[in-house]
Amino acid sequence: MVFLREGICPGATAQLIQSLKEQNVVTLVHLVSADIEDLAQKCSISYKMLVAVRRVLLAQFSPFPSNGAVLYEELLGSTAILSTGNQKLDSLLDSGLYTGELTEFVGASGCGKTQVCLSLAVNISCELKQKVLYIDSTGGLTASRLLQLIQNQVDSIEGQSEALQRIEVVSVFEVYRLLDALQDLRMSFIRQVTGARNSIKAVVIDSVSAVLSSILGGHQLEGMSLMMQLARELKTMARELGVAVVVTNCVVQDPGGGVKPALGRSWSYVPNIRVLLQHRTEGADPHSVKRTATILKSSRRVCGQCQLYGNQKAHRPTRVSAEFDITSCGTLSNQTASSQHSTRERSDT
Amino acid sequence: MVYTCIPLLHCLELGISKEEALEVLQIVRREASGEESQRSVGLPSVRKYTALELLEQEHAQGSIITFCSALDEILGGGVPIGKIVEICGAPGVGKTQLSIQLVVDTQIPECFGGLDGESVYIDTEGSFIVDRVMDVAHAAVQHCHLIAEAGQDEVQLEAAQAFSVSSILSRIYYFRCHDYVELLAQSHLLADFLAEHPKVRIVVIDSIAFPFRHNLEDLSLRTRLLNGLAQQLIGMANDHGVAVVLTNQMTTRFGPVQSTLVPALGESWGHAATIRLILRWEGKLR
Repeated sequence: MVFLREGICPGATAQLIQSLKEQNVVTLVHLVSADIEDLAQKCSISYKMLVAVRRVLLAQFSPFPSNGAVLYEELLGSTAILSTGNQKLDSLLDSGLYTGELTEFVGASGCGKTQVCLSLAVNISCELKQKVLYIDSTGGLTASRLLQLIQNQVDSIEGQSEALQRIEVVSVFEVYRLLDALQDLRMSFIRQVTGARNSIKAVVIDSVSAVLSSILGGHQLEGMSLMMQLARELKTMARELGVAVVVTNCVVQDPGGGVKPALGRSWSYVPNIRVLLQHRTEGADPHSVKRTATILKSSRRVCGQCQLYGNQKAHRPTRVSAEFDITSCGTLSNQTASSQHSTRERSDT
Repeated sequence: MVYTCIPLLHCLELGISKEEALEVLQIVRREASGEESQRSVGLPSVRKYTALELLEQEHAQGSIITFCSALDEILGGGVPIGKIVEICGAPGVGKTQLSIQLVVDTQIPECFGGLDGESVYIDTEGSFIVDRVMDVAHAAVQHCHLIAEAGQDEVQLEAAQAFSVSSILSRIYYFRCHDYVELLAQSHLLADFLAEHPKVRIVVIDSIAFPFRHNLEDLSLRTRLLNGLAQQLIGMANDHGVAVVLTNQMTTRFGPVQSTLVPALGESWGHAATIRLILRWEGKLR
């Protein structure tokens, strides 16, 4: 919404603006949609002057069309793919987390969302040596668990403390504080010197349903608007600042059976990629847990394949899923142990 | 309201440039925080820590032991500060007893491995029996005296003298809430209470399920209230460095073949607690 004011373009004198205001032409949209001849007569301003002002303002404020090739080049240059550290998750997510996109992990309590987020953060910090902003709204983050994950990746103490310093942690338990934290991040990006290497490449929010679920529903309407404001902030931040945004969400019972992600239909349009994490105990042994990650929604790859069952015309889509494990190293493989193992093998032969 | 976040795009409405908008935001923030510090009810702005600083903080804060080594082991040393621990179990398995033990254990002096803190006990069921607390306190005092006498350390002997049943009881702050409205009101007031009593290290709510399970027909309202309460509690735990312990009841989930006992208050409540302890009977053992 652009308000017309003095000096917005050459030729927009105070007198012109004042006379336009008297005719209820206050914003650029009013000016563009008004009848210029009619306006010129009522305001006693020359027709040519008004047309010139309008043309200049339109050139200044309308977006430039660009073609697909330019867009593609831009994307190639600005998008980075951040590996999750787990090969199966990577192949599920089409080789990793893309900057500029919002990835959501949903699952019931105890299925491993926080562990996946911690493993992601550790991988980005240790392997890719980039900074991560971890916004914790559930209290599920303990630095000692981060240290444990990092110790399995990096041997030296300096390396470990460096990796820990690359992970920035903010604890927020309320939606306004969350919006504040995102605003702080945006300001720090604007203020930093261009070309600085140490900028944040990923933002992990665990979890977004914790701050939003208490304000949604019932008779209050502000909750929905806050949720959408948060969604817009996250998406524009991902695109403009070139960060990968990861959020977690919980699940609710689906009336049709099974579970569905929480926060409703409006939120379902927000993430680009949605992954459902599930865990099941196999058989009688309570210790053998089978964990699966299923793609619910992806803007880049096929989520489900329809199969025709025999003579039935009904299609039953099977979703693309992958199995993964959460060990003491999270979802990452143990780098230090595997390198030791391989040297031992070599020395044996 | 400082917290309403003004997107920078809206600065075009006022017809000012992006830099000027940034400056205005900064001035507003500074003034607001200045005002608030004058009023001394200031809410801290969003604090960013690196994981390294967080690790150092965690090491500095202790955890509250339960005097049961098996429990302490699975909890990773005891009930951690700054997190929510939920204790669930069938009736009679020992949830209230465990919470009473924790409330006494918080007050153990630092030289014996405790936190030397005060305790808050919010009772919704009326199961806080002072005689039982006295018994537990007496046992803890005796335990500390034995350690002090065996070790013959000056500091320990002095602390053991000061640690008595009456001192323990005087440092337990007891609140009685009869329904969920009172509980919610108490949780709002608790933030101020904790600011006034900075030595409090544990807040026990026994039980959180009871006021929400009856007299509340609207389930979506219940979920919203519980989620809001959970966020408030974890925020408080984080800001004031207290451990929050909640006790929950069990309910039955009907499965296709058999029914299982699961913690009450629903699926979404499962996300609230950082640590969930489920106590059950195995023969005669807990």
